[in-house]
Amino acid sequence: MNWLKRMFARRRIYGELSEEIREHLEEKVEELVANGMPRKEAAAAARREFGNVTLAEEDGREVWRWPRVENMIEDVRYGLRVLRKSPGFTAIAVLTLGLGIGANTAIFSVVNAVLFRPLPFRDPGRLVVVWHTPPQKSFPGVTKFVVSPANYLDWRGQNHVFEQMSAVGFRRFNLTGVGQPESVEGRAVSADFFSVLGVQPVLGRGFLEEEDQPERGNALVISYDFWQTHFGGSKDVLGSQIKLDDKSYEVVGVAPVKFDFPYQAKLWVPLAWTEKEQAVRGNHGYIVIARLKPEIEMKKAQSEMDTISARLAQQYPADDAGWGAVVLGLNLQMFQQVGPALLVLFGAVGFVLLIACANVANLTLAKALGRRKEIAVRRALGASRARVISLVLTETILISVIGGALALLLAHFVIEAIADFIGPQLPLAVQIGLDGWVLSFTLTISILTGFIAGLAPSWHLTKTNLNESLKQGLGKTDADSSGGRARSVFVAAEVAVSLVLLIGAGLMIRTLYLLRNANSGMDARNVLTVTLGISSEKYATVAQQNGFFNHVLQQIRALPGVEFASAVDSLPLQGGSIQPVAVEGQPVVPMADQPEVPVRLIAPGYLRVMRIPLKQGRDITEADNANARPVILVSESFARRFWPNENPIGKHVKLTFLPGEASEVVGVVGDVRLNGLSITEPVQSVYHVMAQNPETTFMRLAVRTGVPPASLTSAVTEAIHRVDADEPVVGVQTMEAVVDESIAQNRLNMILLSAFAGLALVLASIGIYGVQAYVVRQRTREVGIRVAMGAQAAEVFRLIIAQGLRLATTGIVIGLAASFSLTRLMASQLYGLSATDPWTFIGVSIVLLMVALAACFIPARRATRIDPVVALRYE
Amino acid sequence: MKNREQRDLFPGALEMMVLRTLKRQPLHGYALAQHIKRTSNDLLQIEEGSLYPALQRLLKEELVKAEWGVSSTNRRVRIYKLTAKGAKHLEHEVSRFETMLEGITRVLARGES
Repeated sequence: MNWLKRMFARRRIYGELSEEIREHLEEKVEELVANGMPRKEAAAAARREFGNVTLAEEDGREVWRWPRVENMIEDVRYGLRVLRKSPGFTAIAVLTLGLGIGANTAIFSVVNAVLFRPLPFRDPGRLVVVWHTPPQKSFPGVTKFVVSPANYLDWRGQNHVFEQMSAVGFRRFNLTGVGQPESVEGRAVSADFFSVLGVQPVLGRGFLEEEDQPERGNALVISYDFWQTHFGGSKDVLGSQIKLDDKSYEVVGVAPVKFDFPYQAKLWVPLAWTEKEQAVRGNHGYIVIARLKPEIEMKKAQSEMDTISARLAQQYPADDAGWGAVVLGLNLQMFQQVGPALLVLFGAVGFVLLIACANVANLTLAKALGRRKEIAVRRALGASRARVISLVLTETILISVIGGALALLLAHFVIEAIADFIGPQLPLAVQIGLDGWVLSFTLTISILTGFIAGLAPSWHLTKTNLNESLKQGLGKTDADSSGGRARSVFVAAEVAVSLVLLIGAGLMIRTLYLLRNANSGMDARNVLTVTLGISSEKYATVAQQNGFFNHVLQQIRALPGVEFASAVDSLPLQGGSIQPVAVEGQPVVPMADQPEVPVRLIAPGYLRVMRIPLKQGRDITEADNANARPVILVSESFARRFWPNENPIGKHVKLTFLPGEASEVVGVVGDVRLNGLSITEPVQSVYHVMAQNPETTFMRLAVRTGVPPASLTSAVTEAIHRVDADEPVVGVQTMEAVVDESIAQNRLNMILLSAFAGLALVLASIGIYGVQAYVVRQRTREVGIRVAMGAQAAEVFRLIIAQGLRLATTGIVIGLAASFSLTRLMASQLYGLSATDPWTFIGVSIVLLMVALAACFIPARRATRIDPVVALRYE
Repeated sequence: MKNREQRDLFPGALEMMVLRTLKRQPLHGYALAQHIKRTSNDLLQIEEGSLYPALQRLLKEELVKAEWGVSSTNRRVRIYKLTAKGAKHLEHEVSRFETMLEGITRVLARGES
């Protein structure tokens, strides 16, 4: 190849060129000397005539090059050499950018996995979730609701817009027959569930239409993980029998790796609704997913569902009046779960990176000012401005690319932690990790970061006056002060940005503190909770079921260290059943128009265990059994809503879903935050009695202890197994852990935001320190003169500190202004305080000011030690 | 120091003059520079140094070739020769230049009368 030969020939060509030019000059000198000119003069004249020797040689060489590429390679080599020569600067700059880019990489990898990566289903863009929209009168503020079987079947039968539509119900099964008895997350799905998603089992098959029948519904698909843990991945698994809730199921398929849709499912069984179950219209409990027909737009689907809903409301006014439907893309669902929090974090890491950029720009500028002479020489020798700028840019880009490599390493560790937290909140397992997209993102922002960090320094360097720069060493020049100004601007900006982040973190920390100490209406300390579900095959009658739970509670109450034990169907903070009720004194209306309130099922002593105050009337007792007249407790806000000026005791409430007569209110209890700590609206709830419920197979036991609750775990488990050794005991948790779990997302956000804000604070203080140290060096002479003229150390100290504080204050003022508008964006994630909480704003500003003061301290001290004699001789 | 832009009359002019000079006889760099200066009666301000990048360009385009030899003053010099391709290129360039010059001259003459 021609160019290849040329490359190798180049060394010779360059040599010849230099030799030729040398000969040229010599010949000229000889000629001039021959004409009688003194040799020294002749040499100068020859050079004058020739012009810029180096430039001629450079230009001559350049002819043989691909100038851009090769200049770049040369710059890179030069840059690496410069970086190697100042390892301290390089290490700090690389670390700074590494942290900044690493934080961005970590958050981006989550954003990428959750929001950008297509769902692992066939043609996922056509998959939708169809929700009910409940009547606002009964469910104020609720926009999405699960679907009832009868409505789902009508939707499925009457629509013309969906290819397929599948219902998914949440089930928890007691698993026996393989290893230890345990409780597993299962889903009951319509037969076409797997084909709607376009997911092919790795082994066996999905469900057949005939398996979705009440007598035949004993087929089972297991998750890949379940297959590995319970069957060792054996191919013989197909045809195996497994007992779920004492009913036998046959394994017909194994789902693909990582498939756990929706929400960490481990196994799937057919819905197999009986005719009675199919007819249920007023009780909602299923998620409906569907696949749009090709060519059908989301809008068309929505309007079709509106039509069907209107028709159903007319046809079944008692159940369906006011119930609409909303069609939402499945990928949008993913976004809504975690999107807002992710975006706040993404903004935060963006700020951290900006600060890192400013810091590196500052460092480079400081270093570059020391190189002004070199740059000036380069310029004098004919290097163009663009060439010098590219030289400096190459250096900062090199730093940031090396930083990017470090960032990937850092991100690798952070990602795992984030993935563990965020996984359970998503409807679908996502692979959070460093894939091609993340790598290109990191590379791109690395280069961009280096470019931005190098822009200001290179600009400053090349705009300086050549003559002034060459005279450097004779004292200060204008260029110094203008470089100093740029640095001050950077530092003020850094302080401002860190303040925004710190305020954000401060708000989150206060939120968490307020949440943790919120009055939830109960006392979570010293309470142990146990999840206990029993098989309705083994305990078929309500008497047997209640017998079991009562027996278990008796055993536990007898344990040493236990003060009392009771049971509830859903623990506070975790949500639970919401049911329509008919309230005495209210107009009689069909079910669809009835108010919907949280309904909890409790055993006697529940109030005592949870320390829920009894405000009026009496607690339920053992005497309120199946033979007694049905009674309930209501919460204060329930009583206030329905009987504002009357005595609620003795009033009646009919739980519409339950058979039999209306229950009499015997007591009024305090409101409890049943749906989460951050939901402050009073919960108008009803408690009815386990002994009077027609079927009870699943309860959460709550045990108040006089000793640390976790220490009773095994004693409680043994007590349960003394009653029935086959029942799995799961979810043994202290109530405090339940509280913590309910605010896990807030905590994760708080931890991440605090970490990023902390990082920002460190970077900003490095920035302040750097500028002040530089200022002290710049003003050495001045300080020396001052000291010589009799200035005291304290005055010098104040001088330097004051300058630093001026920077910090400017930054803080700007940061406060920015925070006022930016923190509003995170208002939805705050609790108990406003997004412009004055205490946080003031407190954080003071902290930042203190840190700035500390950062100025060392340079200021150094200034006081300046010896005037040395200082005046300085440089 | 002069700017590169001011050094040439127009891009390619120097190359054209080099080729024309070499057409008469092969020369080494210094002689080439002196010849161009002398022939132009020093009307053209050419930095001698700028000759070398021009020569490298011509070498790369293979319009000239170079050989080391010994000059009349007994120096080791690099002597440039016009190649066949160079001769053709020169012809082409000269005729283009003459056309251009004629055009310019006409416009200038017309403007005067």
